[in-house]
Amino acid sequence: MSVGPVETTEKRPAVREHYVAALESPFVRAPEEVRTVFLVTAGAASLPLAAGVVLFGWRAAIVAAISVVSCAVIERLYYWVTRSPALLGRSHAYLTGLLLALTLPASAPWYVPVVAAAFAIVVGKAVFGGVGHFLWQPALVGRLAAAVLFASSMNPDLWPVLGQDKLFWGDLREASAVADSGQWTGRGAPPGADAVLLRHPRSTLAGLTRTTEPRFSALAYTPDGDAVPGARTTAFRAMPPMSDLLIGARGGGIGETSVVIIVVAGLYLIYRNYVKWQLPVSILASAALVAAVAPVRFSGANDTVVRLWWPVLAEEGEVGFIYICYQLVSGGLVLAAFFLATEMTSRPVTTGGQVLFGIGCGALAMYLQLYVATPIPAYVAVLAMNTFTPGIEAIWRPRVLGRARFRRPGRTFPR
Amino acid sequence: MIFGRHGTFTGGIDLPDLKQAVVARRIVAADRPPRLRVPLAPCGGAPARMVLSAPAHVSAGQKIAQAADESGVDVHAPLTGRIGEPTEAEVICARGAFISPAIEITELGPVEPIVPTAPVFDWRTAGAELLREKIAAGPLTTARPRMRRLARWVEDARRCDCRFLIANVVEPQPHAAADHRLLAEHGTEVIRGLAMLSMATGARETILAVDSRRTGSYRRLEVAARACGVSTVALPPKYPVGNDTIIVKVLTRREVPIGGESFDVGVAVTDAATCFAAYRWVACEAPPLGRVVTVSGGAAAQPGNYYVPFGTECGELAGQADGLLVHGGVMSGHMCSPATVVTAATDAVLAIAREPAVAAAPCIRCGWCTDHCPARLNVAALNDIYELGRVERSERAGVLACVECGVCTYVCPARILLSQRVKQLKRVVFGLRERIPLFTTER
Repeated sequence: MSVGPVETTEKRPAVREHYVAALESPFVRAPEEVRTVFLVTAGAASLPLAAGVVLFGWRAAIVAAISVVSCAVIERLYYWVTRSPALLGRSHAYLTGLLLALTLPASAPWYVPVVAAAFAIVVGKAVFGGVGHFLWQPALVGRLAAAVLFASSMNPDLWPVLGQDKLFWGDLREASAVADSGQWTGRGAPPGADAVLLRHPRSTLAGLTRTTEPRFSALAYTPDGDAVPGARTTAFRAMPPMSDLLIGARGGGIGETSVVIIVVAGLYLIYRNYVKWQLPVSILASAALVAAVAPVRFSGANDTVVRLWWPVLAEEGEVGFIYICYQLVSGGLVLAAFFLATEMTSRPVTTGGQVLFGIGCGALAMYLQLYVATPIPAYVAVLAMNTFTPGIEAIWRPRVLGRARFRRPGRTFPR
Repeated sequence: MIFGRHGTFTGGIDLPDLKQAVVARRIVAADRPPRLRVPLAPCGGAPARMVLSAPAHVSAGQKIAQAADESGVDVHAPLTGRIGEPTEAEVICARGAFISPAIEITELGPVEPIVPTAPVFDWRTAGAELLREKIAAGPLTTARPRMRRLARWVEDARRCDCRFLIANVVEPQPHAAADHRLLAEHGTEVIRGLAMLSMATGARETILAVDSRRTGSYRRLEVAARACGVSTVALPPKYPVGNDTIIVKVLTRREVPIGGESFDVGVAVTDAATCFAAYRWVACEAPPLGRVVTVSGGAAAQPGNYYVPFGTECGELAGQADGLLVHGGVMSGHMCSPATVVTAATDAVLAIAREPAVAAAPCIRCGWCTDHCPARLNVAALNDIYELGRVERSERAGVLACVECGVCTYVCPARILLSQRVKQLKRVVFGLRERIPLFTTER
């Protein structure tokens, strides 16, 4: 049988290696391709986006569209200007734009996603040589740039969420403040407005740990002195109900608020084998552990400050679980755990390495959220751990089949 | 049939079961080929010396060549016919293809199907020494772990004091069904051959490992297995459980050392075809003249399981198919030319529709190659080593433990030829080790 030239489906010429492809085993391939991986991940990521569009209205869809389109256009422009070959077409640019949109607030002005997309594509991805070579998750590079360059508009005091009767069709800019700025459920938009302005739950929780002067007297229950006029309130009384946080009716990025939808989409990614369950689980578990141990501050009697370690055990352990859940779902941690830290190129490859990486991400994210005034603690933590990915790959080496367990590799070659 | 418990192994992958075309087809005799080219050195080494010359007429089973040395085997005429001119034939074994001197046989008689023959030799009471002599006297070859005389294999097993003898009848690769059909139709002979090899090698435990999807076909072998002291294990067909290293790990929890063979941990591995041939030779004194070959694949003219005389050309078996001709399974087999001849190592000849080549994308580090590697290699890191050209790092990364199963290339979404790259690294490491003594680590 003569081995003739192999036809190609693509316009690119098949280089010699691909010609050899047909000559060596295996002669069958799994159906999954890189393009499929990116597009299916983008499909899963559009579920939180849909939730964001429902909660924040059509402005969220506009922000997402600007982000995706500018990512694709900027990537094309970059490769057109530098004349380097485009790597992997557009699918990864779409995915990056979508993930970037998930992290941006819906109230952002139009130039924010454009600038963030430029940073994501050029600094995060193209400088390193494109897909498969970058060190930091590109969408988070863009988000960090947005957080630094547009600090005021990215981190307002009060965040708009559409009223319950104005979902999806309402205009997010038509917002007005309400008296009790915590709860969303059971409240429509104020007259003449589409959205209510709510306090971010993270800023409420920050009053427990980040300030030198504590704002709350306890986590859940009012101590005896509460009857005294002017006494401080408890922390949970200032928090929105947990159901609001789970469905996502709070301030934050377009896709980072709706925890239920993120988890469903993330489980689909795990089912597709694009994400190992160990990574999100280790992120969330280590974050929960840090939140359970790290101290909170209360105001005690006579304006003294009480530092309380192990808040999980506070008040006979009755409120610890709720406290940890509040800490986990009030930032972008869940989105980071399922969608951003799991970006394939910037996480370690081996399972053990991913667990190490996830522990670092979760602990760092919770540390930043508790004690450092940054608007995007989870994303900064993921970016920081991305830096250590090559190091984790180097130190975590699974034992190869047939190599002795407790001897130095390289000295154990048999025969 | 009662199947024993078993472990499993890390990695591996469940391949699509593409055996519907052949798994239920009974073994039939192949069509009469126009000519045979019988290799005189199927195991490599010196070719056998002819005892008959050119225009002589031979009948099936007649000895036509005498082994030249210890490593060679006698050659018997697979079919009745007339001896032609000396020629050459391409032979493929697990380590690759080579050209062997061959003898052409033309004017062939018909291919006889496998008929059960009454045993003429009482192997049960013969004793191990006599069995070994009988095996050494015959033209028996084995393809596991590499092509060689069965007598040499038995010697190696005895020298390593093998405790386990495993007959690996799990065929996890798509299309392959030859060993399954042999066990289903001639299972008693296979099991007796296995027991015989067990006596000859002195193995204390004899295990027949079968595919857990096919156990229904093996029910009636229970009596024979129990009578011969063979324990049976049904394994889930996760690829590459057909590999020696992996099945040793699964069944005995022993790990073959890096770069070693299963003999190094006291386990001998064989397959159904070898057991069958050994039984037919020792008990019935019928020399192996052919073997069962699965002919399948999308482009095969007539898929099925055929009893094929040695020396038939693969192109004859597959028909004039316009596709890739593959010798062995689709995962670990070799592409062959139509002129490659059938030997004891040929378990399947597949004609696969030629797929258009796709350009490889850069690695996105999805890690599926690492997840599915049965040797637990970090294939993504080895790919980095390959791309950076840092060969000296690859030995520390364990590249020599690669079992060459091809799973990494199979799963790679970027269509990178990972297993070829790892094999190339292996070759370079071996080459460096042979030429530069300083590079070799301490023994």
